[in-house]
Amino acid sequence: MSLYTLITGASSGLGRSIALRLASNRRLILNGRNSGRLRETLANCDNPDQHLVWEYDLNDVENLADALAKLITERGIAIESFVHAAGILKILPVRSATCKTMHEVLNTNLVSAFEVVSLLSKRRVNQQQLRTVLFISSIASQFGAPGFSMYAASKSALDGLMRSLAVELAPGVRVNSILPGGFRTPMTEAILEDPIFEQKLVRDYPLGLGQVEDVVDAVDFLVSERSRWITGQQIVVDGGRSINISI
Amino acid sequence: MSLNERRVLVTGAASGIGRATSILLSRLGARVICIDLNPTGLKETAALMHGPHHVFRAQDLNQLEAIKEWLPAIADESGKLHGFVHAAGIPAPLPLQAVSPSSWRRVFSVNTEAALTLAQVFEKRRVRVEGSASIVFISSVMAHVGSAASVVYSMSKAALEGMARSLAVELSSKGIRVNCIAPGFVNTPMLARVGDGWDEAQRAGVEALHPLGFGEPDDIANAAAFLLADTARWITGTVLTVDGGYTAQ
Repeated sequence: MSLYTLITGASSGLGRSIALRLASNRRLILNGRNSGRLRETLANCDNPDQHLVWEYDLNDVENLADALAKLITERGIAIESFVHAAGILKILPVRSATCKTMHEVLNTNLVSAFEVVSLLSKRRVNQQQLRTVLFISSIASQFGAPGFSMYAASKSALDGLMRSLAVELAPGVRVNSILPGGFRTPMTEAILEDPIFEQKLVRDYPLGLGQVEDVVDAVDFLVSERSRWITGQQIVVDGGRSINISI
Repeated sequence: MSLNERRVLVTGAASGIGRATSILLSRLGARVICIDLNPTGLKETAALMHGPHHVFRAQDLNQLEAIKEWLPAIADESGKLHGFVHAAGIPAPLPLQAVSPSSWRRVFSVNTEAALTLAQVFEKRRVRVEGSASIVFISSVMAHVGSAASVVYSMSKAALEGMARSLAVELSSKGIRVNCIAPGFVNTPMLARVGDGWDEAQRAGVEALHPLGFGEPDDIANAAAFLLADTARWITGTVLTVDGGYTAQ
């Protein structure tokens, strides 16, 4: 039975970069909403014929477990690592936020991760093969910012989920979060287009704005055996942003 | 991950985490400057390291002023440094009523003040390479949680983490990153000393507090190598807790 690493959000941004890095020595399942962009990720991966593409919108949490179980069963595979890089960032003043939007944010950022881990922990589905789970959280899980209520809530909840899963699934499975600060991806590009906001960001980051590869290096470390005694942790990768209150 | 052509100083290199870190860094291609109070232990570490170009010096980190002499001298002889790991530390299993000024000063001197002095000397252009550099302090989960008879050790490590955060911001413009690793209970000579009075049930009880069991020095060495190398080029001011889940519950 072949063992795979599932990467959500693999059609662009951080998820895609994680896929490109891990493709050389792992078999991947690339998840995303857009089949064209997923194929683009696949085409750029090493060993493209070893990997699978799984087009699925994680907002549909009701059917997620069935869809993933079907993929695993049909292919006769198991999943050893799960990297949850899918995330939606909606910045809205709380007065404009709606319950519907909140549900969308929570479904993709949080509930889908819960559903995947729950499914992969079932012996009959995944044969006890799961070893590492890594959530891409955000430093927004730790700090407040105007307009970030929904996003921050989803990421704080993701970290809470992470800690309990780490304790519940030990010693067989390690579960951690990475908390990136602001770095350039299609998701953050829109914010960075505003020159005032960009200037503020640059000032807030002692090491400057990050590159996607800075975060990928941490992912690579945390899914590897080099981190075999790290579980239940929030690993901050933010160029010093969260400890900096200098002017 | 590679540390080829990097020169890294490691304190506490004669045993435990410092020894494992020295060995791993040597395998990754670094030239390692190994410091410890114990020359016999340094020799044993030397025998386990990869490559011939490492430096071994018996120094007492309790002598803070002396650091200002020997560290620049080593850089003059062996080349400017790309980073250091302060793994030297002394435990202090003392209940509050047994704590005396002399006992906490000694612990603070090695665990905390030596770290500050090393950073102070390391910052100087005579000692450090231009460009990116990395400082790693070995803290402890005892900086985050409480435990009986751990007051002196806890405060020395909590101070270390506070220091690291401010240093991270102050030194960022020079390209120096500063981070801590907070290990849980690791199989080292220090654990053997602290756990000397434990019976089998107590030992099992402490291990059970770690969902992944006790750690090995290599687990901490791997984290230190990650933070020293370019893999952590956008990480500063953080505490990387490596504790088998001890503080997650």
